[in-house]
Amino acid sequence: MLKVENVDSGYDFLQVLWGINIEINRGEFVALIGPNGAGKTTTLRTISGLLKPKGGRIFFKDELISNLPPYEITHSGLSYVSEDLNLFVNMPVYENLLMGAYIIKDEKKIKQTMEYIYELFPRLAERKKQLAGTLSGGERKMLAIARGMMSNPEMLLVDEPSLGLAPYLVRNVFDALKTLHGEGLTILLVEQNVNATLDITDRAYIIEQGKIVLSGKSKDLARNEHVQNVYLGI
Amino acid sequence: MKENTEVLKTLGDSILEYIKRKPAVPGAIAVTVVIAIIIGIAGGPAQVVNAIVAGGMWALLATGLTMILGVMNVPNFFHGESFMVGAYTAYFIFTPIHLYLMDNPNKFLSTIAPFAGFFAAAVIGFILGSILEKLVFYPLRSKTKERWVMNSFLLTVGVSYILSNGVNLVLGPNFRGIPRYWDVPPIKFFTIRLTVDRLFAFFLAMVVLLLLWYFMGKTRTGRAIRAVSQDEAGAAMVGININNIHTLTFSLGTSMAAIAGAALLFMFQAYPTVGLRPLYYAWYVVMLVGLGNVSAAVVGGFIVAFLQTATQQFFGIEWGEVVPTVVMMIVLIVAPSGIFGSEVKGIQEQ
Repeated sequence: MLKVENVDSGYDFLQVLWGINIEINRGEFVALIGPNGAGKTTTLRTISGLLKPKGGRIFFKDELISNLPPYEITHSGLSYVSEDLNLFVNMPVYENLLMGAYIIKDEKKIKQTMEYIYELFPRLAERKKQLAGTLSGGERKMLAIARGMMSNPEMLLVDEPSLGLAPYLVRNVFDALKTLHGEGLTILLVEQNVNATLDITDRAYIIEQGKIVLSGKSKDLARNEHVQNVYLGI
Repeated sequence: MKENTEVLKTLGDSILEYIKRKPAVPGAIAVTVVIAIIIGIAGGPAQVVNAIVAGGMWALLATGLTMILGVMNVPNFFHGESFMVGAYTAYFIFTPIHLYLMDNPNKFLSTIAPFAGFFAAAVIGFILGSILEKLVFYPLRSKTKERWVMNSFLLTVGVSYILSNGVNLVLGPNFRGIPRYWDVPPIKFFTIRLTVDRLFAFFLAMVVLLLLWYFMGKTRTGRAIRAVSQDEAGAAMVGININNIHTLTFSLGTSMAAIAGAALLFMFQAYPTVGLRPLYYAWYVVMLVGLGNVSAAVVGGFIVAFLQTATQQFFGIEWGEVVPTVVMMIVLIVAPSGIFGSEVKGIQEQ
């Protein structure tokens, strides 16, 4: 479904990614794992179009998307939940969700999705009219994921949802992602919380210093010596 | 019927919520009302009415200015020239109709004629805004975002010079004005005599602001404009075409200034540098209430108008611009982001 081919990317004169290759099939739950500064966020920003790749190509549903502006990539069914969330902080929760459904014109469908989202995240339903800027950290993450889901995407890119959250909230967020995956959503999850991530994902890529160094089934990677040494601390 | 009460209830709720969220706004409204009462006692109700009419216009101008600032981070200094273009457009549309009407009186047409002027000004303002955005600001934006505020500010100053001197070159420096839009006697309301033109200028400002409020709050595109002003990356992520929103915002802001210019043609007349004072007042308002704060700009318009009127009342007419300026300086020293707080992130970061 998503195919990242030999992509180089970075900021101005600083190249971060060197020849990244990622392939994700429909319905898969894939993790991208790596240490700080390895290029995880850069990878997601490049796929979502916020950064233009310096080389290589990116295909989504067999169509070239690496030359499209970010809003057109969203229109093609790829939704990005960024690390800094990029919520509209002066809008209440429900307006943030409505904005998430910006590309959908059918109001009935927006309403349906919104009800579904409120079912999935009851906390957001309670805070419907509260400004996004006044939510707690965990609620913001949920709102960001919920907003990403409002466009009925076929694939979701999620950047470090566990960052800065209490353990039981991490559980909540991961459970929500698992539920979404169970309903057929393709997910690419970037994480530093390696243990929990390898637990819930099907496959994983390990990125180090801007290059993919390892990839495979999550179960196998959890037993891999390098992964155990560097990430799991066993 | 039931729907109506529900609408009223949600409206009441949102107003209450707003007051809870931003207590400075009702505070400022209270101060304005106190000033208004003082003016009313000292100078008679006619002064109050004058201040309200002027306040509506400053609010309209400042709202356009602050929208452009909030969404695009452009400190617009050709807002006055947009006002000027609106005034000229209304003049050139209204005067021929008016001359025709002198020979062939037609009651219906004479009621309608001013609207033709306003509407034309709005359309021309909108078109001017889109052209300038696509021609001047879009190329800069796609080239570099570095020192954006300063660069775009210099561009607006350049555009301002070109527009006012271009008009001077083509049409000359003479004043083009009309005595009044509607040939009807002033309305008497207790002791106040109010010309229909003034009254209508106020209502026009209110109608445009209400439409804008509805557009920004309740429509998909209006919400997108607010989204872009709050988080550009987030807006791109949910699928908003940022370039289109920028052009639309710029055109709307310019169009609002042009409407103000058209509505005040009977007061200001049309000449190449007519926009200077409206520009100053719009900036007073925007700096006073906080950059990019659209709803507060409306309140600010009235605050500035009342300040002005109070000054003219108590210190004499020549002090009319001194006091608002001094107040603005004090506000900038005490509360640099304005009395209601600023919503513009980019300028604060720079």
